Amino acid sequence: MSLNTLAQALVSGALLGCFYTLMALAFSMILGVTRALNLSHGDLIILGGYLGYWLWSGSGLHPLFLVPVAGAALLPLALLWHWLFHRLPEPRELSSLVLTFGLSLLLQNIMLALWRGEYRLIASESLTGSLALAGLRLNQGRLVVAAAALAVVGALYLGLTRTRWGRAIRATSLDREAAALLGINVDEATRTTFLLAFCLSGVAGVLFATLHYLYPAGGIELTLLAIVLTIWAGVGRLRSVLVAGILLGVVEALTVAWSGPRWRELVVSLMLLASLLARSGGLARGWSH
Amino acid sequence: MGRRGWIGAGLVAAALLVLPPLTGFHPYYLYLVSTALLFGTVATSWNLLAYAGQISFGHAAFFGLGGYGAALASLGGLSPWVAIALGGAVGAVGAAGISLASARLRGAYLALATLAYAEIWRGIAHNWTAVSGGGAGLIGIPPLPTLAWLPVDFTRGRAGSYYLSLAFLVVVIAVFGGILRSRVGLAFAAVREEEERASLLGVRALPWKVLAFALSGLFSGLAGGLYVHMVRVVEPDLVFNRYFSILPLVMATFGGLHTLLGPAMAALGLYLVSELLLHPYVPAFHQLPYALALIAVVLYLPGGLAGLLPGKRSGAA
Amino acid sequence: MAFGGLLALRGVDIAVEEHQVVGLLGPNGSGKTTLFNILSGLLRPTAGEVWFAGCRVTNLAPWRLSGLGIGRTFQIARPFAHSTVFDNVLVGITFRSRHHYRRVLDRRREAERLLAMVGLAPKASARANELSLGERKRLELAMALSTRPTVLLLDELASGLSPKGREEVIRFYGRLKERGLTIFAIEHSFRVLAHVADRLVVLDQGTIVAEGRPAQVLGSPRVMQAYLGEDE
Repeated sequence: MSLNTLAQALVSGALLGCFYTLMALAFSMILGVTRALNLSHGDLIILGGYLGYWLWSGSGLHPLFLVPVAGAALLPLALLWHWLFHRLPEPRELSSLVLTFGLSLLLQNIMLALWRGEYRLIASESLTGSLALAGLRLNQGRLVVAAAALAVVGALYLGLTRTRWGRAIRATSLDREAAALLGINVDEATRTTFLLAFCLSGVAGVLFATLHYLYPAGGIELTLLAIVLTIWAGVGRLRSVLVAGILLGVVEALTVAWSGPRWRELVVSLMLLASLLARSGGLARGWSH
Repeated sequence: MGRRGWIGAGLVAAALLVLPPLTGFHPYYLYLVSTALLFGTVATSWNLLAYAGQISFGHAAFFGLGGYGAALASLGGLSPWVAIALGGAVGAVGAAGISLASARLRGAYLALATLAYAEIWRGIAHNWTAVSGGGAGLIGIPPLPTLAWLPVDFTRGRAGSYYLSLAFLVVVIAVFGGILRSRVGLAFAAVREEEERASLLGVRALPWKVLAFALSGLFSGLAGGLYVHMVRVVEPDLVFNRYFSILPLVMATFGGLHTLLGPAMAALGLYLVSELLLHPYVPAFHQLPYALALIAVVLYLPGGLAGLLPGKRSGAA
Repeated sequence: MAFGGLLALRGVDIAVEEHQVVGLLGPNGSGKTTLFNILSGLLRPTAGEVWFAGCRVTNLAPWRLSGLGIGRTFQIARPFAHSTVFDNVLVGITFRSRHHYRRVLDRRREAERLLAMVGLAPKASARANELSLGERKRLELAMALSTRPTVLLLDELASGLSPKGREEVIRFYGRLKERGLTIFAIEHSFRVLAHVADRLVVLDQGTIVAEGRPAQVLGSPRVMQAYLGEDE
């Protein structure tokens, strides 16, 4: 591998990592406030992507304009998921896995029915070019996606740290009972979290659809990615998620550069298994810190 | 199980026994019910593992390992019977391996590890082209030999593999029933309910967990081996398909965790409703019953998951 | 023994002699149950040693300690909740390494005997989570005895029981002692301990503050006032 290829892989991996951060946040936020593992996470993103694709192919608008629309379109589902998660029996980690295994299957079926399992890509011409910068060729689509992801993550960071509802969400995520004792409306904070998380998923979906082909069963890989990032970063630590996301993007890009794209999927599962074994239930540490 | 349950089970068994001649040895229906019976076997073996308190989200790994193991052995010239037995052994070893590796994981985290494990094997089957044939898989797997000493009605057309699947399911249920009454079942239940307490009473948890995984992997692997000899091809997305992880879980929890016959009954019911009633009319939605059953189990069957969830310590290790 | 950033036990040095009943007293959070968890192998001490019958047994797994002859109960009962009462007792009988019965029938007979001894024979086929508090305590004792231990760690066997139940517990202590068992018992009620113990140890904040014959220890006004508070 030449130095140039290496640098190329590092940069494009880091750009992809910004997107991964955005993608993992919804999973991590929901885990934080509900202690529920959402296996339908990736399917929701794919659904957002399909909605974006459908709007894009119908309207011909620039994909970035469709980002907020897809985000808003998932909000009704946020309320439905919230209602379902509210009824999970203890221990939530396991019952949520079972429930969302079912929801994931449900979403895949709905997407299969609506879009017949065909591969779709938002192939907007405005995103296909590439820029030359200091000897590296940067894919314009990846740049735009990374910038958009960073903007959304930045806005979320401000929201979570500077506003009243943001503080309520963080407190609920840290310790639900203590937050309730302090007079924080934890139910409202939970609902807000679901709405925010699903909005993020819709946004991530449209951005994803500009990078990768969509297919109804493609969500699992995104879910596994989100779980890996959450294990690496812990729950509710936005900056750690960003670092972990970029790291994961780089690892993935290096794997692809070294061995070709076909091992990419395998790497994600391997990393998940290795991370679980290394930390023996590391997700739990996040919400008890 | 009450007397009514046994009568019901007896009626279902009798109906299954006379089904081939009743359908006039219709190949499609026999294939369909055979598959349902194999799902019943995998669901029962999933339930056996759950009886020891271990929740798997990755039975596709064991089914697929069995499938590939049997296919490779059979294509290598071994008799299909030996090949299927080897497939079962491969499934058992694969299951014992993940159990040993994830000895420190419990509950949801063990489930996630098995999920990743199945995805890893699917990835390997896709990429290790020299052995697995890659995404295209392996074709030309020989059919199961006809057992000439049986009456012709048992071996005609697809009836051979049908009766074999049925017999296999009965055997697995019988083994599970035997385990429930033995000291193995006693140890499984103790490890499931209170691992620390079991240890204080002399039951070391790890060997029993590995045994439960190995048994479950053995039966799932045998089912996988039988399956590839029925369909006579093997592909990564066929045998390592996530449905072989989801469906056993759905069937076992919906049919009744830790019950002897529930998972097999639920497998027959759900699979046949899905394939006979929904598939012809709303093909895209034919998996809806599984999704809805799973959601219903979590939300509306009080105690439906209770056996899954031993106390409150089942989260992190 | 550091526990959650807090030193739970420090410089505790206790010897329990054979065939004796030693009582362990102390306010909540004084480290009694932590000590039991170390002795039964559920927790690993960060420092210090556990010796049993002349062997160093520090850091041995619970199933090993159980095999050596250590049995225990839990203050809050921890039975195999969805199994029958009979199976709860059968586990220890089946999987113990000493006095192992090869025949199923012998194992089942012993389970019946044990259940009869604690008065749970009529409940043998009930599920453990259907038992009342008092019945759970009896089951705890039967489970602890099912491995035929030589040393029994009893964690608040009498707490939460009616005066009548407590009388019964005192009689149980007598019977266990007659069988030659060595008993190390946490009890909140020093009235119970005064009846049954040969020696008392009082813990507070992880250290021993008093030790001696029951009359001595319980007679000490300092102990009475500071560590026992009110008798329930």
